[in-house]
Amino acid sequence: MQRQSRLKRELQLLSTEPPSGVSCWQAGDRIDELKAQVVGAVGSPYEGGVFRLEIMVPERYPFEPPRVQFVTPIYHPNIDSAGRICLDILKPPPKGAWRPALSLSSVLTSIQLLMSEPNPEDPLMADIAQEYKYHRAAYIATARSWTQKHAGAPGATHKRSGQEGEGLPPHGIP
Amino acid sequence: MESTDPTGKGSAEQSDSQRQSQMDRLDREEAFYQFVNNLNEEDYRLMRDNNLLGTPGEITKEELLRRLQQIKEGPPQQNAEENRGEATEDSNGDSIIDWLNSVRQTGNTTRSGQRGNQSWRAVSRTNPNSGDFRFSLEINVNRSTGNPNLPPSEQSEGSGVENMELTNQGEAEPEPEVETEPEIVATGENAVEEPAPQRGQRRARSRSPELRRIRSRYDRSRSPFNPTVEAPSRRAQHNSSQTVDVSPVEAEGSSRTRQLVTAYITNSTPETEGSSRTRQHVTARQQILVADSPIQSSMLSNSETRNSPQPPSAETPDNADATGNGQRPPTIVLDLQVRRVRPGEYRQRDSIANRTRSRSQTPNNTVTYESERGGFRRTFSRSERAGVRTYVSTIRIPIRRILNTGLSETTSVAIQTMLRQIMTGFGELSYFMYSDNDAEPGTPAAGSPPVAAGVETQNSATVAPRAPPAPEPVEPPNPPMEADNGSNDVSTSGTRREVRNTRGSVTFEESGSLPFLRLAQFFLLNEDDDDQPRGLTKEQIDNLSTRNYGENDALKTCSVCITEYTEGNKLRKLPCSHEYHVHCIDRWLSENSTCPICRRAVLVSGNRESVV
Repeated sequence: MQRQSRLKRELQLLSTEPPSGVSCWQAGDRIDELKAQVVGAVGSPYEGGVFRLEIMVPERYPFEPPRVQFVTPIYHPNIDSAGRICLDILKPPPKGAWRPALSLSSVLTSIQLLMSEPNPEDPLMADIAQEYKYHRAAYIATARSWTQKHAGAPGATHKRSGQEGEGLPPHGIP
Repeated sequence: MESTDPTGKGSAEQSDSQRQSQMDRLDREEAFYQFVNNLNEEDYRLMRDNNLLGTPGEITKEELLRRLQQIKEGPPQQNAEENRGEATEDSNGDSIIDWLNSVRQTGNTTRSGQRGNQSWRAVSRTNPNSGDFRFSLEINVNRSTGNPNLPPSEQSEGSGVENMELTNQGEAEPEPEVETEPEIVATGENAVEEPAPQRGQRRARSRSPELRRIRSRYDRSRSPFNPTVEAPSRRAQHNSSQTVDVSPVEAEGSSRTRQLVTAYITNSTPETEGSSRTRQHVTARQQILVADSPIQSSMLSNSETRNSPQPPSAETPDNADATGNGQRPPTIVLDLQVRRVRPGEYRQRDSIANRTRSRSQTPNNTVTYESERGGFRRTFSRSERAGVRTYVSTIRIPIRRILNTGLSETTSVAIQTMLRQIMTGFGELSYFMYSDNDAEPGTPAAGSPPVAAGVETQNSATVAPRAPPAPEPVEPPNPPMEADNGSNDVSTSGTRREVRNTRGSVTFEESGSLPFLRLAQFFLLNEDDDDQPRGLTKEQIDNLSTRNYGENDALKTCSVCITEYTEGNKLRKLPCSHEYHVHCIDRWLSENSTCPICRRAVLVSGNRESVV
């Protein structure tokens, strides 16, 4: 498959020119299992948090989308408690919007965007979506507390050092 | 700052061997792309269409080169005899399946095997230029073998096996030039030698457990599409008279409704054409049933039946008949041909309910039978010349995805689907032949049927005598009496048949005999694939423009593989002006219909919905 060579290139690009607030690397022996981190965008309730994700690259990648899941718990209308993400580009056409021109980098960036711009109209977690729509303050508070608790927002350290090493975004790190 | 290089982190943990194997793989991958890039247009297409490209990273450049040379040089012909006799019962079917799966990758091949009293020989040929694919399977039933019941005299006779030549079939008129909508034309021919009439039913029975099985399989294969219709009668016994001829059924049908069916038929049977034909159009299933019912008899049995001149009243008969000489073992030839047909010729895939049959009769004993269902067109015809009866079944299946851009798993699905349909078509063929048989041997006396049933299968009980409902004047030398009987029976047959059908489909014996039947079964089992191709056809893809990359071009990188173009790379340009490596975009388009960059529909004229 083209997967290997493409992944190799993608990982190279990710390490040399990582998009802001995102990093991704090969987790172990397997080339199809990747780990990633996304930094919560400034101004969002996730600010200051570093969210870990797991990426499974299917055999047919890039003709099929990668499977991405949050490892770090996150309070979000479009991300369920198992870390699954409801995002169109993570689904293959015709239902989804995946296409080979996308990449791990763009996927992660999209996820980062989704975090700060939830889509309550297509929720995975209906109650959170309701809260997001009608009790925004409550939502923000909960999301923020989760971020602090799970994602190492200010105070927590374990993941962040690595991020800094990556040359992560100025806004991502307090 | 601990880990400055995330990628390095992962690789550091890798064991050396793993790393090494990955490196090797990457090398092979590089080599693959290099190889593909260096192919000229023709070679690339050749390899892609024949599914020879393999998997990047797995296949070596040497192997690619070898394959290319092989397909260019043409088929290494194997001696058909080589494998003969080696195949065991169990392995037979599977081996042919395996083989079939690989056929498309290897160009031309011949394979043969033997099982019990049958020997089969399969030949596949691929025309690299047109992409046409042809597969033929020839089965010889050698009576002498495996028929303990046969009288010795017969056995000796039976030993001679005759092969029918595939070449005779008019089937394929080459119209490769037109490339728009790929279709598969499957031509199944069953050529049966007309042997001197010798045997009674018993023989049929004894001789062909396999045959029976075949029949049942056929039923099954057919069933998915049209369960009601099926019900090939299980009794081969009725027929005994040798007169060859148009089945009474046909006559009957004609009387009842005559409508024109578009005559697009068959180049395959030249004979058919030109002759004045009667066409009937049967709309209702029931009608079909009725009409068909008399027709139905097992094809296999037919072949055998034919041999036996006498109407066997029951199982006993053989002996009497045995006298006959010169019987030749029947040969069944299935010829599958995949070729391209004009676009839009058969588009009506939605009309699943439609089923049209027509029969035409020509002086030279050519009968044509046509059916149509959701996108498939089938034509069955029978012709007889010099004692050789030829059945031709032509199935046209619009295939959206013949495209073998290789590499994709869906391809195999597509092939399976295709083959399954074809096998189903063969089922129809058998059905047709059955019916033909019945009709022919004008002997279906009332008496015989019950016996026959017994012989055939459990189901047999249900089987009633199928006599042609309406005796036709046209008909051959059938005694009028028979006709009458038939008519009486007819009314019942419909219902009975139903019963049988259901049963039949469920029942059949698992111990497959003929390889292709297994094949049918195999494909039927894998029925769950979706019939909703979203990708473009090979033609549609090929119609998109291509060019060679030049150094001065602005866009340097293929978005699919994220690799920079190099001089001489072949790029394909979509209507939206986005370009990719041909091999990259072809694969995507085989399953999708939008541009990977802008998601615009590649096909403007939308017979396919564009993904938004």
